[in-house]
Amino acid sequence: MRRVAVTGIGVLSPLGNTVDDAFENAASGRSAIRRLETPWAKRLSSPLAACVKFEGEAHFEPPRLRMLDRVSQFAVVAARQAMAEARGEHSGIEPDRMGVFLGTGMGGALTTDDGYSVLYGSGGERINPFTVLLAMNNAAAAWVGAEFGVTGPNLTYSTACSSAAVAIGEAWSRVARGDLDLAIAGGAESPLSYGTLKAWDALHTLAREDSNDVSTSCKPFAGDRCGMVLAEGAALFVLEDLERAAARGAPIRGELAGFGVTTDLGHITRPSVAGQVTAMRSALHSAGLRADEIDHINAHGTGTQANDGVETAAIKEVFGERAYAIPVSATKSMHGHLLGATGALELALAFGTLERGVLLPTMHLKVPAPDCDLDYVPNAARRGVTVRTVMSSSFAFGGTNAVLIARAAH
Amino acid sequence: MTTLERLEKILEERYHVPADRITLDAPIDTLGLDSLGTTELLFFIEEEFEITLPYEPVSMRTVGDAVHYIDEVLATRPPGAPPRREPTPTAAEGVPLEASPERPA
Repeated sequence: MRRVAVTGIGVLSPLGNTVDDAFENAASGRSAIRRLETPWAKRLSSPLAACVKFEGEAHFEPPRLRMLDRVSQFAVVAARQAMAEARGEHSGIEPDRMGVFLGTGMGGALTTDDGYSVLYGSGGERINPFTVLLAMNNAAAAWVGAEFGVTGPNLTYSTACSSAAVAIGEAWSRVARGDLDLAIAGGAESPLSYGTLKAWDALHTLAREDSNDVSTSCKPFAGDRCGMVLAEGAALFVLEDLERAAARGAPIRGELAGFGVTTDLGHITRPSVAGQVTAMRSALHSAGLRADEIDHINAHGTGTQANDGVETAAIKEVFGERAYAIPVSATKSMHGHLLGATGALELALAFGTLERGVLLPTMHLKVPAPDCDLDYVPNAARRGVTVRTVMSSSFAFGGTNAVLIARAAH
Repeated sequence: MTTLERLEKILEERYHVPADRITLDAPIDTLGLDSLGTTELLFFIEEEFEITLPYEPVSMRTVGDAVHYIDEVLATRPPGAPPRREPTPTAAEGVPLEASPERPA
């Protein structure tokens, strides 16, 4: 197996529109969670979200823009950032030795919502002639591939909240095996429509608004945690054969070292300790690392009752007594849950931790829940820490558990 | 405005086609519109002229063909497209979160 380098990272997120901005804001404990101000927000029980400051007009000419749902706009712009940093367009790698691997849970949800609104809401007959092309789940990946002339595999993964982690892991395995020399991989999500928010609202899994401070509403691992907050954004990586990347002088942010994926069969939504444990162990095995070689965990940490306790128990089972000495961060407390893109944003932040030696905080954690007794880096970042390895976990509805391991550049 | 002027407006505003290239004998596929762009153009023509074009493909090779075809449809059919209304969400109000158990995400 070849070693896999990360040579570029692109981020559009509620915490900022570069990986460095997002990391700095997270390190400062700034939450991007807000009350939505749209007219329909008052019809939601939980009118909260974390939005990206982004106007497609600044990045695309109108005829192209009309063919891009917001999710595809996010993906293409984040891919441009990542490829520019990696100098990927000048890599000399043949187009068929490159691939695109993108995770998205809901694809062009805004377009779908718009169409239904016209047809069912207004009784109209005319919808956007490009509705299919905008809304299809593989649109974002297709536009990314077209942007960079990629003729190798162009694959979209949709495993709900682990979509991006699965996509990145699958890309990693192709590059590690030698099937590809370069992969553009990550996730994109743009779910903040009335219909989508209402659907999540109906599932009673969204956080209630904190009456003192809306931005503190998502409280992973806390005794008063009450759910997740939906968010939008994208994070994409350029993954390359490490030796080849070093030889061409590409900037190497670090190494993607391992990937594990398993499936819970017991329940469509209820997570299982066993499934998460085997995913973490599988990732360790693929990275050739022992459990005692993991320095930090970026948790799935949604802030829901069911996730945080189970995830804590799984970490304890994998790491034993040492679990209490591993700092665990839940950055969703600040950027919200990007669904099919969330694993990519969290991995991007993990690379920031490797590069800077800064552990990001789990914010809004006043009193931990009884079943959450690890070191969650509560409420303030820790600086000056040596971090060589980070485990980043994503666990999904449908049961797909995906765990990635990042390692510092040597 | 004439039909040509209204069509010019669509091509200029939506596709950034320079005005001097929009002549009656200009083939539409030389104005920067591919097959999908042409499909979209039909949508904009329907909106602008409040007409409904037939589902079967319409032969509109040049700008002049389009003008002629639009004029034909306008002459034989009264403006029929109902004015578009703003989309209005119709789903019921949500129930209180407190009423139900937590689920994972």
